Amino acid sequence: MIEMAQYLIVVLVTIGIVMVTVLLHVAYLTYFERKILGWMQDRMGPMEVGYHGLLQPIADGLKLFFKEDIVPAQANKVIFTLAPILVLVPALIGFAVIPFGRDTIQIFGLTFRPYVTDINIGILYILAFASIGAYGVLLGGWASNNKYSLLGGLRSAAQVISYELSLGLSIVGVLLLAGSLSLVKITEAQGGGMFHWFIIPQFVAFVIYLISAIAETNRLPFDLPEAESELVAGFFTEYSGMRFAFFFLAEYANMILVSCIATILFLGGWHAPFEALSFIPPILWFVGKVYLFLFFYIWIRGTLPRLRYDQLMMFGWKVMIPLALANILVTSVVLYFVKG
Amino acid sequence: MKRLKRLFQQILFLEILAGMAATFKHLFVRPITIQYPHEKRVLPNGYRGFIALLRYDDGTDKCVGCDLCEAACPSRVITVISAEVEGQPLKRYAREYAMDMTRCVFCGLCVEACPVNALGMTKEYEYATYDKRNLNLNKEQLLAIGDRAFPVRETRVEFQHPHAAFFNVAKRGYPAK
Repeated sequence: MIEMAQYLIVVLVTIGIVMVTVLLHVAYLTYFERKILGWMQDRMGPMEVGYHGLLQPIADGLKLFFKEDIVPAQANKVIFTLAPILVLVPALIGFAVIPFGRDTIQIFGLTFRPYVTDINIGILYILAFASIGAYGVLLGGWASNNKYSLLGGLRSAAQVISYELSLGLSIVGVLLLAGSLSLVKITEAQGGGMFHWFIIPQFVAFVIYLISAIAETNRLPFDLPEAESELVAGFFTEYSGMRFAFFFLAEYANMILVSCIATILFLGGWHAPFEALSFIPPILWFVGKVYLFLFFYIWIRGTLPRLRYDQLMMFGWKVMIPLALANILVTSVVLYFVKG
Repeated sequence: MKRLKRLFQQILFLEILAGMAATFKHLFVRPITIQYPHEKRVLPNGYRGFIALLRYDDGTDKCVGCDLCEAACPSRVITVISAEVEGQPLKRYAREYAMDMTRCVFCGLCVEACPVNALGMTKEYEYATYDKRNLNLNKEQLLAIGDRAFPVRETRVEFQHPHAAFFNVAKRGYPAK
């Protein structure tokens, strides 16, 4: 009984810490993005709220709390309410299996691990929940009773299905090399310096993963579901207040999640690139690598214009998926001869 | 060969990489933003801001009430009611002088039209207000703008040049200081 209670406390506290940290990072990711985009365009980004605009995410959050919550006439209220939750929950639930660090911490005789749980199908679990997020977008677009929302939702469904294939296929190469679906095991398989990271044998898969991940999170240059200049705001045109905030949080949480997975699969998770640098705590390495990817996504957003819809589909089906399949083929053949 | 090179460029995303290099360079370019309420740009001389009525250094107003500014104004901003100094029919002044700044286009034609340089354009441009009627300026307000913007006043013409036109004199002491 006491063991059970201890287990519950450990799990609940870990979940709490992970959720709070992730949500804080999500909030400050918006600040990070606005600042970097501003600098790239020779502007300053947010400067007014707090020192250099540091309190801007908090001000934005407070503002969204006090906004009026509007449900459009003729909208399907149940689905309209359900959609933001359906988007946000899968985005946050994926963080349960992300290993943020290596070392366990002992406090009051309880052992805290740097991840909520380590299930042996970790990466599959994340992919499965990421697909559920697409339902939220689709249903939100449909329930809004608005043509722009519907178009955004439809585009999102087509895009997510197309790019999820190449995303899943690009991961297979890594799984073949690591021999496990558990994210902890995958990270451990890459120990011992940066030359053991999977980015080197799986560089093609890495590029495919990066591109598909941008498409999965609906970000520029693949932001057709929410294309501002053509669809107002796409699937969340009709959303306001906290429901809008849920979509917004989900988008940025998805960005962080996708960056975490990229870090774990290709950049060796918490491992330091050189043994000499391993005095820096593993968790800092992890966060640093994740922010490297986040910067990359923002950088791409600051550089590229939006693709046309047929270009998006053609790129997904005619380039990415054959490349990913070829990568799997080459990887498995090479592995067969090397490992024998 | 050229097609091969083009294919190679496409496979390696060379064009995209060039674009990304350009945006990355701009990360380190100094922002051109001027944080407006905290810092303001230096206005050039000859900036056409609020219009002011001017005084001579003894406090009398320069305006002789000739109505030329009213005639020159393309958007009918200016209303002048001219009057003569009692007993001196040749000496006139503006009894009332109003400018409806909501209509003003800041073209400066009134300033150019004035024969006695009684009007001036200042560098004031922050005149946003909650009530439009606040922008309907009367003579005192216009003179106050002039006092604010042009602290160095001109000497009366007859003291500068003893032979200048003698009628170019406003009623002494008007408005009372």
